[in-house]
Amino acid sequence: MWDNRCKIAVSGVGFSKVTRSADIPLAAHALTAVRDAVADSGLQMADIDGLATYPELPATGHAEVDGISVVSVNCMMAMLKLPALTWHIQVGTTNIGGAVQQAVNALLAGVCKYAVVWRAMHNPSGTYQNLPGAYAHGAAQFTAPYGFGGPGQGMAVAYTRWLERHGQNREKMATLAVTQRRHTQHNPHAWFYGTPLTREDYLASRMVAYPFCLFDCDIPVQGAVAIVLTTADRARDLKPKPAYIAGYGQRLHFEVAGRIGSLSSYMEGGSSSAKLTWERSGFSPKDVDVAQIYDGFSASVIYGLESYGFCKEGEALDFIQDGRIELDGELPLNTFGGSLGTGRIHGLWHIIEGALQASGRAGSRQVKDANVSFVGASAPIVTGTTFIFVGDPY
Amino acid sequence: MSDWSKVTRPIPVPNEWTRPFWDAAKNHRLELQRCQNCRSFQHPPYATCVQCMAIDLKFEPVSGTGTIYAYTIMYHTGDKRFASAVPYASIIVELDEAPGALLAANLLDAPYTEAKVGRRVEVTFEKLNDDITLPQFRLAG
Repeated sequence: MWDNRCKIAVSGVGFSKVTRSADIPLAAHALTAVRDAVADSGLQMADIDGLATYPELPATGHAEVDGISVVSVNCMMAMLKLPALTWHIQVGTTNIGGAVQQAVNALLAGVCKYAVVWRAMHNPSGTYQNLPGAYAHGAAQFTAPYGFGGPGQGMAVAYTRWLERHGQNREKMATLAVTQRRHTQHNPHAWFYGTPLTREDYLASRMVAYPFCLFDCDIPVQGAVAIVLTTADRARDLKPKPAYIAGYGQRLHFEVAGRIGSLSSYMEGGSSSAKLTWERSGFSPKDVDVAQIYDGFSASVIYGLESYGFCKEGEALDFIQDGRIELDGELPLNTFGGSLGTGRIHGLWHIIEGALQASGRAGSRQVKDANVSFVGASAPIVTGTTFIFVGDPY
Repeated sequence: MSDWSKVTRPIPVPNEWTRPFWDAAKNHRLELQRCQNCRSFQHPPYATCVQCMAIDLKFEPVSGTGTIYAYTIMYHTGDKRFASAVPYASIIVELDEAPGALLAANLLDAPYTEAKVGRRVEVTFEKLNDDITLPQFRLAG
């Protein structure tokens, strides 16, 4: 087990409004979420001395403008002018989960006391994923000429392989979409709060990139979420009940850029990250009370459930049936609605929900007696990170 | 069957790693990067052998037959240049001689419903301009 098990905790969490279009600059959303998280902790902004984020815009073919389409650490520093700031970082290889892990490491190293991590996501006007212009450079020279644009098609090809190799049926995915949308109705911050979804809606929805229909894809939105991390001792003196980090991991496998469609790369990415997390935390999949698994595209949940060890390869679409992922099921899943419910904010919201469930702060969607709370914070292939939060640090 | 006649594809821009691939394709030959140490093929081209870390890599011809490893049927018309071909099959091909090297392509000369994992395919070539010819695939005869 990890020497640093449960030495760091998530304290406050914060949210901006989630909107469909970019009515106000993204920096304002990020500032709102950060303020909200700091207030939730019962801290003052001047107490914050660490900052971390992953400022990528996953849309292709759009300009990155700091404060408009991304919110970098520099942008946040300029807005907050923190008098006590001692540490900051932006990560590249592991999405927002990596930023959280770096904040954990900085707190363990004692180079800051209260770190804030945010994820701000922009929804550019026009088509989200644009193929390159007249020419395809770099890795895209082998994909774009054939009509491969954004990550959706790259994930769709692996999904057809999974479906046909295992003799599975995409209609079973309706259970995931419908159950998560039901969970969403307990999350007032979510884009689809107040909008139900039926099995019939799912089965009748238009195809985007087979096997993905519209409701297999998270909707692009504009918004931000944030968390405060601190040491366990300090967290116990703050307002909310802490969610202790029992262990974490990151994917240790990477594909050559432009090689798409490989199913094994999802599995190897996910299992390498989960293995570290199980070993460090001392838990195994059967100990988990509640799970959040990244669902930017629905098939990510399949790869997550299988590669993290919750079920065997080829079985995930059967595993999610028969009430197992309901709030009172054997493995309540994406209890905040997932990205399919909140809109595309990436995995920090999964981390937030994992922490809220562990500390008993999830309100009407709280899973009864939840203690061991698992999070897979992004698609296991490229940027996968995994976490276990607990409410009871022993 | 998808109508590709009105589609304007993005033109690949060869670089120092990939130029031999495109030079071969222009002459209707499929050549993949091969490690001269462990003899494994790989695609897309890379700086080193991803199997054994050797740096001695050369492009060598392959016969161009293989199977559909995976596919997707594209319905979304976000990119207007491809809208006239929708729905179309974008496939990932694993060549018989190069297991693990995955090539993207479209399934040509067949209805998109013919795209299935494991189906046999063979290479064909689609000229984009005087410099660039795309390797493509059709069902094996």
